[in-house]
Amino acid sequence: MTILRVLTVDDSRTILAMLHHTLSNAGFEVLQAEDGKQGLEVLKTEHVDVVITDINMPVMDGIEFIKNVRATGNHQSLPILILTTETSQDKRDQGKAAGGTGWIVKPFDPEKLISVIHRVVH
Amino acid sequence: MSDLDDFKATYFDECSELLNELEEQFAAIEAGERDADRLNAVFRAIHSVKGGAGAFGFSALVGFAHAYETLLDYVRDGRIEMSDDVVNLCIRANDIVADHVKAAQTGDALPADYGMEEKDRFDALARGERDDSDDDEGGDPIDDFDIEFVPVMVNLGGYQPAAETSSGVEADDVFDALPMQVEPGHWEIRFTPHRALYARANDPLLLFRELAVLGDMHVRAVLEEIPALVDFEPFAVYCSWEITLVSPSITEAMIREVFEFVDGDCDIAIAQLGNSIAFDIPAPAPAVAKPAPKPAKLTAESDRADLLALADDEVADLLDFSRDSDVAVVPALTAEKPSFTPEPEAPAITVQDTFDEAPSLSFAELAETIAPSPIPKRAASTAVTPLRAPAPAASSDGEESSSGGNRSVGVQSIRVDLDKVDRVVNMVGELVITQSMLTQQMDETLRARYTELVRGLEVLAQTTRGLQDSVMAIRAQPVKTVFSRLPRLVRELATKTGKKIKLETVGENTEIDKTVIEQLSDPLTHMVRNSADHGIESPETRLARGKPEIGTIRLSAEQAGGNILIIVEDDGGGINRERVLQVARDKGVVAPDVNPTDEQIDQLIFAPGFSTASEVSDISGRGVGMDVVLSNIKKIGGSVHVRSWTGKGTRMTLRLPLTLAVLDVMLVKVGVSPYVVPLSSIVETIQCSRASFERVPSGGQVLQVRGEYVQVIDLAQRFEMVSETEPENRFVVLCEAEGSAKVALIVDDIIGQQQVVIKSLEENFERVEGIAGGTILGDGNVALIVDVQSLKTTIVHKNAA
Amino acid sequence: MEALGFRDDMADKSAVAAQNSLQLIAFSIGEQTYGVEITTVREIRAWNGATPLPNTREFVRGVINLRGTIVPIFDLRARFGDGPTSPTKNHVVVVMSVGDKWVGILVDAVSDILTVSRDDIHNVPEGNSIDTELLNGIVTHESRMVGLIDLHAVVSGAKMDS
Repeated sequence: MTILRVLTVDDSRTILAMLHHTLSNAGFEVLQAEDGKQGLEVLKTEHVDVVITDINMPVMDGIEFIKNVRATGNHQSLPILILTTETSQDKRDQGKAAGGTGWIVKPFDPEKLISVIHRVVH
Repeated sequence: MSDLDDFKATYFDECSELLNELEEQFAAIEAGERDADRLNAVFRAIHSVKGGAGAFGFSALVGFAHAYETLLDYVRDGRIEMSDDVVNLCIRANDIVADHVKAAQTGDALPADYGMEEKDRFDALARGERDDSDDDEGGDPIDDFDIEFVPVMVNLGGYQPAAETSSGVEADDVFDALPMQVEPGHWEIRFTPHRALYARANDPLLLFRELAVLGDMHVRAVLEEIPALVDFEPFAVYCSWEITLVSPSITEAMIREVFEFVDGDCDIAIAQLGNSIAFDIPAPAPAVAKPAPKPAKLTAESDRADLLALADDEVADLLDFSRDSDVAVVPALTAEKPSFTPEPEAPAITVQDTFDEAPSLSFAELAETIAPSPIPKRAASTAVTPLRAPAPAASSDGEESSSGGNRSVGVQSIRVDLDKVDRVVNMVGELVITQSMLTQQMDETLRARYTELVRGLEVLAQTTRGLQDSVMAIRAQPVKTVFSRLPRLVRELATKTGKKIKLETVGENTEIDKTVIEQLSDPLTHMVRNSADHGIESPETRLARGKPEIGTIRLSAEQAGGNILIIVEDDGGGINRERVLQVARDKGVVAPDVNPTDEQIDQLIFAPGFSTASEVSDISGRGVGMDVVLSNIKKIGGSVHVRSWTGKGTRMTLRLPLTLAVLDVMLVKVGVSPYVVPLSSIVETIQCSRASFERVPSGGQVLQVRGEYVQVIDLAQRFEMVSETEPENRFVVLCEAEGSAKVALIVDDIIGQQQVVIKSLEENFERVEGIAGGTILGDGNVALIVDVQSLKTTIVHKNAA
Repeated sequence: MEALGFRDDMADKSAVAAQNSLQLIAFSIGEQTYGVEITTVREIRAWNGATPLPNTREFVRGVINLRGTIVPIFDLRARFGDGPTSPTKNHVVVVMSVGDKWVGILVDAVSDILTVSRDDIHNVPEGNSIDTELLNGIVTHESRMVGLIDLHAVVSGAKMDS
């Protein structure tokens, strides 16, 4: 069984650290980026099974990031989960319209996080 | 839980960075730069503070940050104008957020109504603009945050509650004849994905897998829509599925939850039906034998049939509906309504296990398995796409090899524990010293004999320097990390004193070693306090003196050689020298018969326990004066100098080393022991035979150098060592103490210059008067670092006493 | 059963012994033998000089470099008021931990590792104030008197003015 690689993209170190902790405990390999641009850089060189991205980020926000990922030929089928505190539908719809696969609402429950990932990745 | 504590520590670190960022942004916003980038940055900062706070349950912080964030959101999208009033409110709000963060960190509770007034103002502002708008985003009254912050993960798809599952109408659209009798536990789902579902990387297989966890599931692919190969559009979606799910405990909500992410990207019909009438369920084995209902089509499109068979085969493999894969294939081809047998013993685990194997199937392999003729091959790779479109692109060969060759993370920055960096810095320090020691060992004979070795040593020297610079750059930080704490201080001081003060900063991107930065905060705070408290006059006084009403404190940082200069200037009244001298005489710091120069008087404000404010002020007072600044700065090898212009202002200059890791020193000998004197404090060295000493009445010596009389300290005497060197062969090391006060140290020999790593004496011993620390020389012996400042100070005290 | 009982008895006895006994590193200054608990000793090294520290009492011999950290050396003979040792390469520095600090004690020679019973430790007789100040107790080992060094007391009062 291969180890799944998760790319986490968030400008908050706290969130990155918590994601890292939760995901690596669950047996994932975790890559990190602090904004969309860095995220794209990682995807250029690294194989990733699933992406978890924040929406509000400097340099390149999550929506732009998702659009860019989807625009890249070989990432059309890469599952992307949107990490959001917005409980209103708005951000999520934007993220979905850009090509987001699903979403996770912060603050996240570790078990739920893992189950949501399994919902979008083999 | 220690993990949680770690996260909290990270969070508070991050908060302090974010708060600094807010200070910076608002400094620019206050100056009129109100572009979208800044507003977005501010919004993000508060958003991040709130996000983390939510994770840790700091509800007071979340509450305030949420209200503030909503205001910022409105400002950002133009619903609220960023007037000066709003800017001021925001700046106040930043301080409140900072207080909330601090309270969360220390665990001290703030008053329940803390920040309420501001929150009400946010609310009022938001409401004022909101009447005509019914946008969904942030549309709730600001104080509704409590409800929003329940960590809700799902339940947003607008599904119908499980109780209302008699959705006969909906079901009728999909299934021809539905049983009227509803029996709990047996569900029929018709699932027709749209193209968008695949475009967003959702995958029917995964949905099925998740459904399979809920109960016993059977899936039948509906393939009637698949056109003849000639009409086949590669990226079109032709396939839909009918799913039977059996479990007594399922609700429609649970099923809807599985489809949560694909809501809107597919047609989905969910119906609950009675077991008895639902489907006539053929046993798997007979199904194989069943003739295909549309044989004509099948024969005409035999290659397509192969293809579909394969595709379905794969589905069957993946889902493990049956141990006999034919079973799954045939129903697909028969495309007859009732499909497969419920397989009650199939546990969810099996399903998942098989899924894990899925990625091992590559397109290349698929293409190979499929018919050898080129046309079907092409068809195969495209036709497979809708069936398992979300196969990870990574399985392509090129990707695999590139990721295999380089597993390192491609991010542009990494965070490293400071301890690790410190260790590297220390070791590089030792390396630099070893290298310089090696170089010193090379005398002329050796140089002539071993040219290769000499060249190697030169390269080593260069590389070591480069390494040192690079390593120091890692630990360097811009001074703005300290500067950005000061605007708030100035605001508070202005409020408390009723003065009007503007803070200007220059050169905040100047970088210094982190160890120096850490030592800088306290002294700088004191200096700025001093300027605000004692320097800047009240608005009335200023106007009366013909000065602008608003006083200015200017903070600047610049690099000057191996030093960094931090200057705190104000345009206040300057130092009141008469008062300073008076206080100094009263306190016995200055003898009655001594008449110090203006510059010397200015410098007196750093004397221990000295305070000029006639009444101890709430701000600078409390018995801690500028002497703290001096001692802190001295501790890190820096100096402070003050200059004042009566009625015009005061300038305090901090001179700091760029790093505390390595010290440039002169190695000298006192008695038989090696000592080092920091190069930064040495003005010049003079051979004693050429120096002109004079006797003073007390019996001591002074040195006359360029018309100035300088105190002389014989280090051998001072350190109680025996000097065996002839007096005329000894050396004067002329040093500069703080300000421009000089002191002449007499040493027995000068050995040379080198770099050393400072080692603490206090780690295993205690502080020794006149010694700033120790260092280890190339030969392994310990040399002591002369503390020029403290030598001078003790002499002054002895004279005064 | 008997055998088992016997073994239990043995185990009990040795446990009591371990609890009650003390291992010392014994070293000599002139004719006198002193000891410190073995657990406090970090390293024993030959005297190789020390950099003198100014403005400290006579018994502070200076500092040495112990693998990159600076460690002070105390002259135990001088500490007992018998004047400074004139050390040779045969003199020994016993490096010990006192609280969170490491210090070196200059002695003439390290003689032995002794196991003594705690019950055999006697109080230092009143009289000589230096003895009562610097010793925790006295123990007799093979008819020799061994003074147990109070390390905290030895290293305190190193500064001139204290």
